[in-house]
Amino acid sequence: MKRRALLGAIGSGSALGIAGCLTRDDGGDEAGDGTLTVVTYESMIDTEDSAGPWLKERFEDEFDAELEWEQLPDGGINHYVQRADRDAEIDADVYLGLNVDDLVRVDDQLEGGALFRELDRDRLERADRVRDEFSLGDPHGRTLTYDMGYISLVYDETEVAEPASLEDLTEPAYEDALLAQNAQKADSGQAFLLWTIDAFGEDGYLDYWQRLEDNGVRVLDGWSESYSGAYMEGERSMVVSYSTDQVYANRFDYDFSRHQVAFPDDQGYANPEGMAIFEGAGDVDLAYDFFDFVLSSEAQAEIATRNVQYPAVADEHVDLDEEFDEYAHTPEEMVSFDYDDLRGDLDGWVEDWAQEFAGQ
Amino acid sequence: MSLADRPVVDRLSAGAVSAWLERRALSLAALGTAAVLVVVLYLPVGLVFVEALLEDGSPTLGHVTEVLTDPFYFGVLADVFADPLAIGAHLGSLAGWLAAVSIAPTLASPVPGVDLPVPWLAVDAPPVRKGLFGFTAYQAALSTVASVAIGLPAASVLANYEFRGRRTLRSLTILPFVLPGIMVAVGFYAMFGRTGTLNTLLGAVGLGPFAFVETSPLAIVILAHAFYNAPLVARLTVSAWESVDARTVETARSLGASPRRAFRDVVVPQLVPAVLTGALLTFIFTFMTFPIVLALGGLQLATVEVWIYDRIQRLAYGEAASLAILETILSLGLTYAYLRYESAQTGFSQAPSPPPREALFPDVRTALSPRRLAILGYGCVALVLFVGPLASLVVGSFTDGSGFTLRNYAFLLERQLEGASFQTRPVPAIRNSLLFGLATLAVAVPMGVVISVLTVRAGRSGRLVDTLAMLPLAVSGVVFGIGLLQGLVFGVPLPGGWRLQVTGAVAIVAAHAVAAYPFVTRNVSPLLATLDPALVESARALGASRTRALLDVELPLVANGIVAGAAFAFAVSIGEFSSTVILASGSEHYTMPVAVERYLGRRSGPAIAMGTLLLLVTAASFVVVDRVGGRYEL
Repeated sequence: MKRRALLGAIGSGSALGIAGCLTRDDGGDEAGDGTLTVVTYESMIDTEDSAGPWLKERFEDEFDAELEWEQLPDGGINHYVQRADRDAEIDADVYLGLNVDDLVRVDDQLEGGALFRELDRDRLERADRVRDEFSLGDPHGRTLTYDMGYISLVYDETEVAEPASLEDLTEPAYEDALLAQNAQKADSGQAFLLWTIDAFGEDGYLDYWQRLEDNGVRVLDGWSESYSGAYMEGERSMVVSYSTDQVYANRFDYDFSRHQVAFPDDQGYANPEGMAIFEGAGDVDLAYDFFDFVLSSEAQAEIATRNVQYPAVADEHVDLDEEFDEYAHTPEEMVSFDYDDLRGDLDGWVEDWAQEFAGQ
Repeated sequence: MSLADRPVVDRLSAGAVSAWLERRALSLAALGTAAVLVVVLYLPVGLVFVEALLEDGSPTLGHVTEVLTDPFYFGVLADVFADPLAIGAHLGSLAGWLAAVSIAPTLASPVPGVDLPVPWLAVDAPPVRKGLFGFTAYQAALSTVASVAIGLPAASVLANYEFRGRRTLRSLTILPFVLPGIMVAVGFYAMFGRTGTLNTLLGAVGLGPFAFVETSPLAIVILAHAFYNAPLVARLTVSAWESVDARTVETARSLGASPRRAFRDVVVPQLVPAVLTGALLTFIFTFMTFPIVLALGGLQLATVEVWIYDRIQRLAYGEAASLAILETILSLGLTYAYLRYESAQTGFSQAPSPPPREALFPDVRTALSPRRLAILGYGCVALVLFVGPLASLVVGSFTDGSGFTLRNYAFLLERQLEGASFQTRPVPAIRNSLLFGLATLAVAVPMGVVISVLTVRAGRSGRLVDTLAMLPLAVSGVVFGIGLLQGLVFGVPLPGGWRLQVTGAVAIVAAHAVAAYPFVTRNVSPLLATLDPALVESARALGASRTRALLDVELPLVANGIVAGAAFAFAVSIGEFSSTVILASGSEHYTMPVAVERYLGRRSGPAIAMGTLLLLVTAASFVVVDRVGGRYEL
């Protein structure tokens, strides 16, 4: 009897209506409603110690407005490029966490100067505090840098010596030692690839990677897979990662011998992070207030410590605590590509590199 | 009201309505199924596929041709596609290759790290450029062989032997199936890595350490695929094995067949469809494998799906859609070939009566028999391959830089109690997963059953419909995701500035149901096809409606398949990640796998703890699902 009841329930599956929703596009209005929606990457907001919760609280106190965090969708900037491409509405006002290559993607795929507003720097009190060398070099003036990270190598000193140069990584001493990430997908992987293009040139980088491959480099998927998966489980002795690695090692009580930071050729690849206002933003005034607030001395120090990145402003505008100074390492020389270097070339470089590895 | 209308009113009385509904139930259910499929599958996927066939609005085959003739994608076949009529030249290059193959005796050390020379025939063939498609098919074929080889012994033990915890173990075979890719990768590194559990154990007896992952990334990726798919093969085969009519075996035995002969001629033919179904699904899944290959193997082992993802990220929709269409054609072609085979297997089974199970270790003497020792050996392999990564994952959630810690669980607890609205909390994730899972059951099981019923007796056209019904499995997950994003999340523009958007819980359940119903169909169809049609015909002749006959006669006889399919549907929903993350983005509808992904910050501890919770919740729900479902099994 019970069986019959169950089968009856299963068999007479009712037709299921799809509850759709009809929306009407309304253009963004300048006036705003006192709410700022900021989209940003996960680690900015994912724990109590992240920068996000602190920024929200202080900004709301100071400006009597509301700040809503929105987590960056899977696919990052591409999500918004696709939205713009399909004329779908974007409800966020501000994007926090843009890289140079994101801007290049936007412009290569939509059109020059698309997606974000040109910033009126006269409306910003503190825009001049940002170090010139950290600028993203956007000719359309859409972004302001708020912090800065360096890609470096992290290695286990009990297994390998510090590599003096990128060339060293192709030596027998580093056979089967290096873990890198897929430049098609991971920021750190792409930064390392660009670093090798800077060192060996457009014509020489594939040859260098060929030698790395002969020496047994492994290119895994994203940073999590290579670092949390392979490196932290002791699989290899060296991984492409960030120069602030020891700040985390210190916080989570890891053994420092496996968390040594190396800067081959005394260089690190610089990855400045910028913020920008979406073209369809609702409350533009509030967005400008937010930018100024993010560049204030206090916010810069908090972002640096909590987000474990370097401040974007000059030294006289920010005081950092000791932990940061002790464990965050900076390279003597920074390598970076700005907007003009990448525009039109980036996709081709990554594609050629990826084809080198795949498709046996 | 005029007198003439009265009969109409009478006709609308409650009993009449339900009778009418009953008569039409099948058609209504079919309509509902079609509606869900159109909105959640055909429309989104069609939106993307169309990109491959359009160039600035006019139809073209340019994109597809470009992909087919690109050696990067098709290796040596690209030349054949480029100039298919130059048969002489192609045969010439094939002959040249064959002439260059040489075979020589040699000594090899097959065991990594052990210097044990074994005489070997070395086949020295010049390398053939496989291309991305060739390599993807190659690793999928190897993964399929491995999954079947590892899954079948498990099925045989679970179906034929009785031992403590058998049913629980049977329930738990689904666990690998729901684990997010990144967790499998972490589990595998924790188990097989250089400082992993296995090397620690081997080190205790003075062996190693062996670089399991490093020696052959391909082998590890294939093992990971087997980790995912061998349980699938095992579950499908077990439910077929338990549907075998033991009386047919007894008949064969009484007619003088040896046990082995009876097994080969009576039982095996009834198992082959299930095993082949498992193999087919495994091949399709591993052909479309995505995160696990790059997480464990590296970019050298990239598959077509990796490139589809990349092309979509670069907005090269034409190329991405061409790749996806070729993938789908291949999968559906295989499915169609298999279904032709399956439909030739109709029988006249009346009702299952499962074969009796013998005790696994009744006494010491039996325990030492060769067969029991082989089972023990297999058990050790299964321990290393399945329990190892899972256990290492659980252990990993309790360890940190300094050894044992409850920090990761403290993080989850704190997040639950104090998390802000924009942060992901564990309890809603668990609740959503279970609710979506149950809702998926309620939608996917009827969908799957309806499609089975409609296709089983429909002959040739039924096979085509049945093949198309497998579309959700045969479509690239990346393409399905982007189609959902552009079709349902961004919305379809309508005249007058309106947009039709479908998001939130309903869309997630619909997407899960679409991904899950093929499992119900594949579990139910073979059993339904082997039923004696006379059973239904008698019921109809005695006045039962088609629906009544289905509910009272057919479905009870295939309850095994329905329960097995329902378990899969639930598992698919719990484990689904790629479309959920798109449909849940920025909303409260995140599930456990999405939470795992979101907790992967600068350290993996909290994510692994969440992964462990996912394992626990899934294990508990499956023991319940199988217990509840088991009551309906005959």
